[in-house]
Amino acid sequence: MVESVAIQNASERPLHGVLAEFDDVDSISAAAREVRDAGYTSFDVYSPFPIHGIERHMGLRPTKLPWIVLVCGLSGTSLALFFQWWTNAVDYPFTISGKPLFGIPANIPVTFEFTVLLSAFAAFFGMLILNRLPEHHRPVFESSRFRRATDDGFFLAIEADDPQFDATKTRALLQKLSRHPVELYHDSGQSAALPVWIRSALVAAGALALLPLAAVVWARASDTTRPPIHIVQDMDSQQRFRAQVANQVFADGRAMRPDSIGTVAWGELRTDATVASGKSGDAFLDTIPVPVTDAVIARGRERFAVYCTPCHGQSGYGDGLVALRAAELQEQTWVQPSSLHDPLVRTRTVGQIFDTIRNGVRTMPAYGRQMSAEDSWAITAYVRALQRSQNATINDVPAAERAKLGVQ
Amino acid sequence: MTHSLAQQTPKLGSRASRWGAIALVIGVVALAAAAYLGWSKGDGFKRLQHAWLVACAFYLSISLGGLFFVIIQHLTRAGWSVVVRRVAELVAANTLVIAILFAPLVVMVLRGDASLYPWADAEHVHAEPLLAAKAPWLDPRFFALRCAVYFGTWWLIGRWLLKRSTEQDAATGVEPTLALERRAAPAMVGFALTINFAAFDLLMSIVPTWYSTMFGVYIFAGSVMSFFAFSVVALRFLQKNGLLDREVNVEHYHDLGKFLFAFVFFWSYVAFSQFMLIWYADIPEETFWFKERMEGSWAVVSTVLLFGHFVLPFAGLLSRHAKRRLGILTFWAVWLLVMQAVDLFWLVMPSAEHGGALVGAIDIACLAAVGGIWAFALTKLAGERALIPVNDPRLSQSLAFENF
Amino acid sequence: MTANPTSALHLDEPYARPILIDGDRDLASVTRRVCGVVEAPKPPRAWYIAITITSAMTVMLFAMVAYLIVTGVGVWGNNSPAFWGWDIVNFVFWVGIAHAGTLISAILFLLRQKWRTSINRAAEAMTLFAVCCAGLYPSIHVGRVWLAYWLFPVPNQMQMWPNFRSPLLWDVFAVSTYAIVSLLFWYMGLVPDLATLRDRATTKLRKGLYGFFALGWCGSARHWQRYERAYLILAALATPLVLSVHSVVSFDFAVSQVPGWHTTIFPPYFVAGAIFSGFGMVVTTMVPARELFGLKELVTLKHLENMNKVILATGSMVGLAYATEFFIAWYGGNPYERFVFLNRALGPYWWAYWLMVFCNVVAPQFLWFKKIRTSLWTMFVISIFVNIGMWLERFVIVVTSLTRDYLPTSWGYFKPTAVDVCTFAGTFGLFLTLFLLFCRFLPMVAIAEVKTVLPAAHPHGGHGSKEGAHHG
Repeated sequence: MVESVAIQNASERPLHGVLAEFDDVDSISAAAREVRDAGYTSFDVYSPFPIHGIERHMGLRPTKLPWIVLVCGLSGTSLALFFQWWTNAVDYPFTISGKPLFGIPANIPVTFEFTVLLSAFAAFFGMLILNRLPEHHRPVFESSRFRRATDDGFFLAIEADDPQFDATKTRALLQKLSRHPVELYHDSGQSAALPVWIRSALVAAGALALLPLAAVVWARASDTTRPPIHIVQDMDSQQRFRAQVANQVFADGRAMRPDSIGTVAWGELRTDATVASGKSGDAFLDTIPVPVTDAVIARGRERFAVYCTPCHGQSGYGDGLVALRAAELQEQTWVQPSSLHDPLVRTRTVGQIFDTIRNGVRTMPAYGRQMSAEDSWAITAYVRALQRSQNATINDVPAAERAKLGVQ
Repeated sequence: MTHSLAQQTPKLGSRASRWGAIALVIGVVALAAAAYLGWSKGDGFKRLQHAWLVACAFYLSISLGGLFFVIIQHLTRAGWSVVVRRVAELVAANTLVIAILFAPLVVMVLRGDASLYPWADAEHVHAEPLLAAKAPWLDPRFFALRCAVYFGTWWLIGRWLLKRSTEQDAATGVEPTLALERRAAPAMVGFALTINFAAFDLLMSIVPTWYSTMFGVYIFAGSVMSFFAFSVVALRFLQKNGLLDREVNVEHYHDLGKFLFAFVFFWSYVAFSQFMLIWYADIPEETFWFKERMEGSWAVVSTVLLFGHFVLPFAGLLSRHAKRRLGILTFWAVWLLVMQAVDLFWLVMPSAEHGGALVGAIDIACLAAVGGIWAFALTKLAGERALIPVNDPRLSQSLAFENF
Repeated sequence: MTANPTSALHLDEPYARPILIDGDRDLASVTRRVCGVVEAPKPPRAWYIAITITSAMTVMLFAMVAYLIVTGVGVWGNNSPAFWGWDIVNFVFWVGIAHAGTLISAILFLLRQKWRTSINRAAEAMTLFAVCCAGLYPSIHVGRVWLAYWLFPVPNQMQMWPNFRSPLLWDVFAVSTYAIVSLLFWYMGLVPDLATLRDRATTKLRKGLYGFFALGWCGSARHWQRYERAYLILAALATPLVLSVHSVVSFDFAVSQVPGWHTTIFPPYFVAGAIFSGFGMVVTTMVPARELFGLKELVTLKHLENMNKVILATGSMVGLAYATEFFIAWYGGNPYERFVFLNRALGPYWWAYWLMVFCNVVAPQFLWFKKIRTSLWTMFVISIFVNIGMWLERFVIVVTSLTRDYLPTSWGYFKPTAVDVCTFAGTFGLFLTLFLLFCRFLPMVAIAEVKTVLPAAHPHGGHGSKEGAHHG
């Protein structure tokens, strides 16, 4: 198509250059040297594969592509490092698996990949730009022989814009070097721009491609009360009834079902109201309603260490680590824990102490939800033992032990 | 292209004995100095043993890198490298001397001296469950046997490669070359197995509770890198002395430079992966080894390695220009040899210098002692041998070689 | 099976560089042979049969993916304790396959291994298709695929950024960078060949299409100069990139504390395994493809033999890595580590482990014998073993560690579902369909690059001549 047009109008269009064909690498290299030595600069060699060393014969300078790649690669490195630092350490900082917000070892892989990516873009697009590609219409394509430049032909063209160019002399020079007929070729009759229909198609496609983006922007900028569109009905819409909604299946019209009569929640079964409440009627018990054995005291001591010592301290003087720390920090809202050896506490009944453990008092929280009634009684028993130990007289020591200590 | 090489075979000739004598004198004097310095420390030669291990490992890594290089050239039937191969063959064959120099450390282990290898003390091993679990491997006699196998394998392969290559010099056919090509693959298997486990035994086991599966690869990467650096330095040295100056040209240096660059990068990749995986998983059994090297003045050495062994040489050797300028290339080659020594120092010495990275005269003396004796052995090996494989079938390819 | 094997096989004579292609060695015949495949009015009947089967498999893949998206990830076998199942196994498997192309195009290019020119195009294409199959898995396993963009650092309504310290995010960057760079590399190599097709085109459509993608390439020396420099730079970039991709994939496992996963040798070991599997797949596909499209003279037995040597080398590296891992698991003295490795060999997945060892370590050892590595049938069978073995390796790593970690109460046994199996089979359909389309419509061999290794490309006739023999 292009070609028939070119042949018709060839004589009307300005001369673009002279084209000569060669047989092999040796002859074209020699020709390139001759042309270079004759002082031509605006000429080119066309071959189906890169010819080793031809750039020397043609007198070409090394390309600056590596520098472009280096600059882009370094930008990639710094951009990736900056972006990772800014996103993970500044804009949205969060600690994960004990790693620093910006710990270089963990940021190396992404930095490396991004460096390579930008360098590769630079190499590829840099090559295209330096070569002024794509360019689909070239004057040399006028020659039908030139098609073999991508098969097995070797061509050399001297262009008319070379200061040394002289149609006759240049042609004679090339004819001397080549054993094939040398031909003249002309500026391309085709405009370098794309045909109108391709351009309009591209514009239309571009406009269409913007539509989804526009829809997203519009959706993000506007409010609606309608539920979102679910293309895939996943966990957002499950087959279940929500809390507090109506359901006509049941006589009471509720979707939520009450517990069956006699349901007891896990751990809530109270067979003995006295043990569970520490009260007999409305009065607090003054004896522990469960058998007190060594095992129970030991259990109480262990539970006391877990739940009570942080505030009340190991010996119950209200000097636990939390209390000490609060005092050190001079916390304004902190209420000093009671000493269990305060006369006020000592004179309390076991029922009152049990009740305090279960339900809390003042700022002390209730522990009833965290331990069984039995464990609360065990702690109560241990507290009693603790109080006794801190206020004991020699009379509390059994006679046999007293003898060992050598006191009466 | 065909030239009068055959008439003028490049040889060390009389230089061999002269250089050999100088090297030997340096080696013996340094050995005496090292021994005195080690004795004067009064630590039961603990510091000396560590410094000695660094020195042996340094020259061993150059030789092993050379061994790898020679095997891979035969394996791939490479043409470009023929003119630089003989120097590599000589270096690769020069492992016996390191075996002899390393032997005292093995003797110390056999005598139960635990100052270098803590597991040499049987009582200590049985007291610590983690060590008791690996007692069958870290057994002094088994260790000695393994050392014999490692050094024996390297020596046999290296000598055989040199011997057949020298045979080719005088042969009429290409039979020696074909034999080298055939046996290169099994040799590579032997090399890979031994260097991997030798790295564990000789260097990793000085901290017997620490382990890293990649350690062998790390040592391998450093070895090959230091060989290429040494190769550049050695060829430049020979050329300064009027040898090989027509045979080895900038194209060969360019290729050596490319490999040097590649292995700088490969070492960095291995070092980073090893560090990052341990840093990230953060398991105390593994991290203590790096923690030791990231505190006090050891942190300085680690930083020196990061920049000196990776960042600077990477940037310095990146461009084609740098690899083709012999001055620049030689500078980086020397630099990287120093870095290889620093790397080995960094691997070994924290066991002896807990307080901080102290480089002493003893370290220099040990490097000079092993280096001198190693270089002496090298001149003995080079002796009357041609410095390039003069009759190699691919010699002309190598001479005519051009980078694109 | 081969027309003239002897000429290709006795070229190891050290004086001469091996001649890389058989038959006519002039420029035009190379063009003719490669373009002939694309320009033939009809492909061979086997092509139609093959593409029918593979496109049916591809349809099955899409059906499975649609079912997964609509229903949820529960259709797979992933469940406590093996929350990673075939999705990551197959992802790593395909990423591994994708390594051969770039290795052949980049690393062998830098090492001046000229035999690569006959196979690099097809191998690079395989890289791209394998990356497509691999990339599919992470994007569908997120469950709600329409939110897969959360993987990328794009500003979003939650005002959150992804965690750059996570290896899974490194993976996103590594695999997408790899896909893009491989595509650029492949396309750049194609440009001169597309120009050849453009100039030979007989119909307007072909001229237009090939011409459009050929970008107006004319073979100018000035263009070639920058082109070659760009190619070299891309090769130099792709070499560390190819190393990094599978290293990053290995980091997914190795940064964790799961016994059997946390081991420092993973990066180089994964890379070696990836190259191994990639070459396995190249042999598996090239052996039939060169028969089918009559390219036996361009892709010679010598090329296949070289690939088999790479398979042998990388297979042995993988074997050494297995041994090292096992040894250090014992040497490290960590009881969990020791248990995991014993469990791999003797536990419920013993069959997978030993099959893996056989396929990856034992089977390639037969390639030591020249007879076996130059026979099409034996190499084809071994390459199939390699493919199976490398899939099993990923399966063993993922599943044995997850189903037997620290807590015996949470031990389990992983079973894939039919959807798992069909999805995986479907990815083979996708891969092979794309490959068959590539074979039919694009030059399967890099025409311009093969020409550079022909005697005609060497001005002084240096290639393959016996000039070395004069030297004494």
